[in-house]
Amino acid sequence: MAEIGKIRIRIPDAIKKGDVIPVKALITHPMETGMRKDKAGKPIPEHYINDVKVYYGNDLITSMDWTIAVSADPFMTFYVKADKAAPLRIVWKDNKGATFEDTVQINPQ
Amino acid sequence: MKEIELSRRQFIKTAGATCVALSVVGIIPGIFKPALAAEEKGEDIKDVLKKHFGDRKIETGHVDIKAPIIAENGAVVPLTIISDLPMTPGDYVKKIYVYAEGNLNPYVAGVALTPANGKAELALRIKMRKTSNVRAVVETSKGNLYQAIKSVKVTIGGCGG
Repeated sequence: MAEIGKIRIRIPDAIKKGDVIPVKALITHPMETGMRKDKAGKPIPEHYINDVKVYYGNDLITSMDWTIAVSADPFMTFYVKADKAAPLRIVWKDNKGATFEDTVQINPQ
Repeated sequence: MKEIELSRRQFIKTAGATCVALSVVGIIPGIFKPALAAEEKGEDIKDVLKKHFGDRKIETGHVDIKAPIIAENGAVVPLTIISDLPMTPGDYVKKIYVYAEGNLNPYVAGVALTPANGKAELALRIKMRKTSNVRAVVETSKGNLYQAIKSVKVTIGGCGG
């Protein structure tokens, strides 16, 4: 399996102060439903990200509950109003207690 | 001659009986199918909506779903949910709820937003077990609910083994 927790976050190159910018984020994760079986017929236990939080500077600006019905290697796009120079931090947590996070710096001109 | 005729009748009778028997066999899976379906039946979307919103009125409008009409792979169905509602400190979209009505558990995700998001738009790839409606409900900070529903045809289901 591909390495779990590999993250890519993308924001536009040039950002003007006050722009509403798209943030695209991809994380490698199996998002196992618990309904699948392995080759030996044994059920594969559910293993999925159930909590995502986005911080802009110190503020929690977006928080998500996910279920098993979010696709494997979850990819999302959401928006941020770039009104300050601050880090944007995304934190993913899965049902087995693992935490994955990454940060990009938003520097509006 | 009579004998032959009889045996011919006999043959037709037998053939007829066989046909009836075969069609009964044909019916049997039909009888078993609903039982299986009931066993597999998940939560009904109505119950899920009731759990999330009680008896609150959900209006149509102010939210739109972009989704493929036909999704070849139910394991990866790209959705974009867009609302034209304001995102100002006094009046904003507080949460977007996403449902795939044909899934055993129709609730896919809930996304809580703040005015710092600037606009209420979200793209996510979801799994769909079979052809069904996808539904997005947005809840505003003032407590209003709006929804959009879109049918997505799924060629290969994406939830399990």
